[in-house]
Amino acid sequence: MKHSGNFGKPKRYGMVIDLDKCTGCGACMVACMAENNVPFKEDESKKLDSISWLQVYRLTNGKPYPDAEVCYLPRPCQHCAGKHEGHSPCVSVCPATATDYDQQTGIVSQIYTRCFGCRYCMGACPYHARHFNWWDPVWPKGMEKYLNPDVSARMRGIVEKCNFCFQRYQKATEKAHAEGRRDLEENEYQTACTQACPAGAIIFGDLNNPKHAVHQIAKPNLKKGGQPQNPKAFRLLEELETNTKVYYLSSKQWVQDAIHKPHLLDQKEAHH
Amino acid sequence: MKIDRRSFLAMSVGGAVGTALTPLPWKIQDDLAIWTQMWPWTPFPPDGENTYVNSVSTLCGGGCGITVRKVGERAVKIEGREDYPTNQGGICNLCASGLQMLYGPTRIPYPMKRLGERGANQWVRLSWEEAISMVAEQLGEIRQAGQPETVACLSTRPYGSMPALLKRFMTAYGSPNFMTTPSMMDAYDMTLKRMHGVDGRMGFDLENADYVLSFGSGLIEGWGNTVHMIRINSKWKDTNAVLKQIEPRLSNTAAKADQWIPILPGTEGILALGIGYVIIKESLYDYDFVNNFSAGFDEFRRAVLSGYSPGNVSKQTGVDQSTIVALAREFARARRPLALCGRGQGTVPGGFGEYVAVHALNALVGNINRPGGAWAMPRPEMDGWLEPVLDAPAEAGLAKPRLDGAGSAAFPFAGQLFNRVPVALKAGEPYPCQALLVYDANPLFSMPGSGMVREALQQIPFILSFASHMDETAMMADIILPNLSHLERWEDVPVTEGFHRPMLGLAQPVVDPQFDTLHAGDTLLQLAAALGGTVAASLPWENYEACLKEALSPRWAELEDRGYWIDENFTPDDWSLAFPTVSGKFDFAVSGADLKTLFAMTAPQGDDGSYNLKLIPYDSVRIANGAVGSPPFLIKIVSDKVLKGKTVLVEVNPETARAAGFGEGDQAVLKTPLGDAAVRVHLSDGLMPGLVAMPRGLGHTAYDRYLAQKGVNANDLIGSVEDTASGLDATWGILASLVKA
Amino acid sequence: MSNTDDTKQVAVDDRDRVPNASETGGPIILFFMIGFVLSLVVGWVVFPKLLYSQKKQPIDFNHVQHMELVDEGCESCHFFREDGSFSGAPTLAQCIDCHEEVQGDTPNEIKFVEAYVQKDREVPWLVYSKQPQCVYFSHVAHVKMGNMDCVTCHGHIGESTELPIYEQNRISLYSRNIWGKNIGGFKKNTWDRMKMDDCAECHVREGVRQASVQTGKGGCFVCHK
Repeated sequence: MKHSGNFGKPKRYGMVIDLDKCTGCGACMVACMAENNVPFKEDESKKLDSISWLQVYRLTNGKPYPDAEVCYLPRPCQHCAGKHEGHSPCVSVCPATATDYDQQTGIVSQIYTRCFGCRYCMGACPYHARHFNWWDPVWPKGMEKYLNPDVSARMRGIVEKCNFCFQRYQKATEKAHAEGRRDLEENEYQTACTQACPAGAIIFGDLNNPKHAVHQIAKPNLKKGGQPQNPKAFRLLEELETNTKVYYLSSKQWVQDAIHKPHLLDQKEAHH
Repeated sequence: MKIDRRSFLAMSVGGAVGTALTPLPWKIQDDLAIWTQMWPWTPFPPDGENTYVNSVSTLCGGGCGITVRKVGERAVKIEGREDYPTNQGGICNLCASGLQMLYGPTRIPYPMKRLGERGANQWVRLSWEEAISMVAEQLGEIRQAGQPETVACLSTRPYGSMPALLKRFMTAYGSPNFMTTPSMMDAYDMTLKRMHGVDGRMGFDLENADYVLSFGSGLIEGWGNTVHMIRINSKWKDTNAVLKQIEPRLSNTAAKADQWIPILPGTEGILALGIGYVIIKESLYDYDFVNNFSAGFDEFRRAVLSGYSPGNVSKQTGVDQSTIVALAREFARARRPLALCGRGQGTVPGGFGEYVAVHALNALVGNINRPGGAWAMPRPEMDGWLEPVLDAPAEAGLAKPRLDGAGSAAFPFAGQLFNRVPVALKAGEPYPCQALLVYDANPLFSMPGSGMVREALQQIPFILSFASHMDETAMMADIILPNLSHLERWEDVPVTEGFHRPMLGLAQPVVDPQFDTLHAGDTLLQLAAALGGTVAASLPWENYEACLKEALSPRWAELEDRGYWIDENFTPDDWSLAFPTVSGKFDFAVSGADLKTLFAMTAPQGDDGSYNLKLIPYDSVRIANGAVGSPPFLIKIVSDKVLKGKTVLVEVNPETARAAGFGEGDQAVLKTPLGDAAVRVHLSDGLMPGLVAMPRGLGHTAYDRYLAQKGVNANDLIGSVEDTASGLDATWGILASLVKA
Repeated sequence: MSNTDDTKQVAVDDRDRVPNASETGGPIILFFMIGFVLSLVVGWVVFPKLLYSQKKQPIDFNHVQHMELVDEGCESCHFFREDGSFSGAPTLAQCIDCHEEVQGDTPNEIKFVEAYVQKDREVPWLVYSKQPQCVYFSHVAHVKMGNMDCVTCHGHIGESTELPIYEQNRISLYSRNIWGKNIGGFKKNTWDRMKMDDCAECHVREGVRQASVQTGKGGCFVCHK
């Protein structure tokens, strides 16, 4: 039996994050770590070796007291499509075929057992979305009981990153298959951070699907590398033409300006 | 045949050729590659059937609905319950880390008795029978000696069947000393009592408010129900409601507000009076409410107009006159304005005058018991229980004054004042405390003036803890009868903190008990049975589940079926019926209080002129600081601008830091009248000059290596300051100085 | 001149050996053959024995006997859950339906009831087809959507009267069934091997989500997690 081409139209899973609503509470980061078996160690204050797939940055407008303003910006992997679908900065430099771009979903995957830890991808990623495991993960006695079987635990010497909770796509697809469907409804596949966000600031769905909220809000112009047509929406480092799938909304001009400055993202800060 | 070197060579070559023709080299290579990819010591979590169990979280007062995903018998993820009225699928960072508490190494695995010094963390295991009989013997002796009032009990939550059961136990035993840890809700209870004449609790219809003046309330940081509040903040963005945040520091709430109004700490109430001044002066108040449904307006008006002109207030608070006037006009002209107070998470109440001043604003604009306003709500009651049975010793004990002075002539309106207990014990007044029962509370860590609390605890000969986790207070205990963890037990969770509908959730066991622990309700019933007599007769239930069912009998079926009960159609009383005061009206004069004294600002501790700065504590949305310590995930997401290694960073305005000679990250010693601490300096443009801000919730000495010994407990440096008008803890900070390390 | 003498001496020696060459050629080839054959024996026979440890299943299960009693074939016990996940080896709860009490008098049955049913302990079945942690495999995608038979991958285990010995690779800790019983990795039937290439072979043929940018074949996340 042949069923080539029977896998539906290609999707471009993506996010819209409303920075006006994000409170910087960090529930998304914790939900992500809990979902994805992200380990922890005694001292996590050295943020350069602290693994957090989703990082909430704290941006300031740089003005002195009392005109200081703060904006929180959650940064998952941006799942760059690049100039042509799949020309992601990380995928194009991986010598091990450990990271890949899936044209069916638009998700940049990371296969831990394939990775040999050269970290080219970390150098290539303009968003600091990738983390290296300098140590083997260790869970205190008993805590290994909460590990999610749908996500493999990583070992030392490999790179890991956000994959839009792909295991949830797999799980949702299984359920759909059990019901004889191939396509997923919008609400069937949602990332852990989206689900957890108490502010409802994160929206997730298929950017290609005009019925999905992400498409309706970001209004991506697919002819122009996915550029948002909503004036409140923007993407990080748009000028690099990474064609990311994470759109941000802000009503503040200084926020829209700030995100074009990569050095602001250099402060690896998980704010209070 | 000669066997020589060549023969061996030949054999080796043959062997090599032969080996190349076997799978051996290729197979070993493949297997080794696999081995390096999957170290056998990397955990491989077992798969199984996925199930989802609904429950309610009891980790904080919010009481969010949760859905726990299980794989086989393991709980693997806590998520927000989507159809739960308060959090609607959202979850906070603490709750999402909850499995680290369930399975973590800080759990107390079995009943135990202290060995060696208090706090040395050396224990000997007891069987449950032994432990219960030991405690019963201790308590029995005190009762036999005719001093049941010398036994006190402390809980964090005031409502629900567990606090009710503890209180009932204390009552039957003969002690008036059931207390809860201080909270802004104590102050709001008092406000309701004295301004509305209502014995109830305050609720806020925040969803429908369109202009919110928050006097330092950490609406994002955990004031009320965290997730519900964050949801409301988002709703405000959608509906263009306005939030004005008044506090000295650019908190997360201030960052999300439409305007951040920095104010000198401790002067929030004064600003409220200044706003009241403008509203009264410009006659912007609600005539109908003030003229027809309020009393004491003249006294209030006189007190406000006599000292709180924008000019005066501006000087005291550091807020511009024009801002004060603008806030007053905007507030009075908004359709549904609402003023809130309770600093940060509201775990330290603050002075009563502040609450009166802020709540008077709601009254001035008539937004009381109206949509988008402040509502007087009924308290949740345990209506299924009969009255406890009291014998003569119990009657005698209950007739004694309380240790904390609540309800005494000095503090007639206070329900509880645990903050006064350390002082009372030190003074030995009115009597010493012989035993303390601690349930779901960690006062040694969470209350200002922890040094005083420690001294007080040291004076108590017998401390019994029901803790599930080894916290600071549990480490001081003589016997620990560990409670089940939050995911192993039944418990009713009334949603109270500021919520505007009567609501009750039901926590149910998600997993089987992981250790040899027992529900504190069952422990208490067994203790009562062991004590016998009227104590046993007052707590006659076979087990806690039966007791819970009886307490909630009218709603049990619904609770069991749906997991919660809510009165969706609740509306507060109409103005004509709402105020059971003497006048039958809202009382601006606060039942005859001396308004001038009431509104006076509480001075900080230890003003000897040697301190040039003020230290203010702040509540961080990413650090747990109540009865529960931060689990590893929570500490992991704390910024490196707050905690670096084991050192806490204090925020200082760049100007102030420069004047003192400090740059970013510099080491310093922070001095206050209560002690010194090593800190680092973080320059922040989001803090008023002249202040030092330190997060609450760090500096644990108990718990695990992920949390303990990191940073400083702000409560070690900041003491409790009693509000003379109410007895409440009015602390907002302390004088301090920063010197070079 | 001693040099010349030496050279002569060597030449003489060489001359001496020439006739012997055909005689000594035999032993060299012999030794070569010994080495060759020995290594073949080691590589094909001894090595697999050393590489795999052998474990007996806790209970010797008779598939044939059970197949006669059930209506829906394999799916009677190895079923799909409502969420599409596959139940795999049956749990005690499923077995208890019939085996609450000892049925018949086989020692296996008695052992099962006494050691597991009565003690409420799950049987620690050894799963022949257990894939490593990094593999995501959806039974429902293959069985329901791909209309594949169990036999295609699992062979005729359902027609067995006793369970084969479970062999585990001492290095990789995989079940032998992943690499296949044939140590050379040769396969005759689709169910002989369960390596990544075997999955890919079919996925390429069937055109399953050939969406990878890196390889032009299947996307990694189709089969990995």
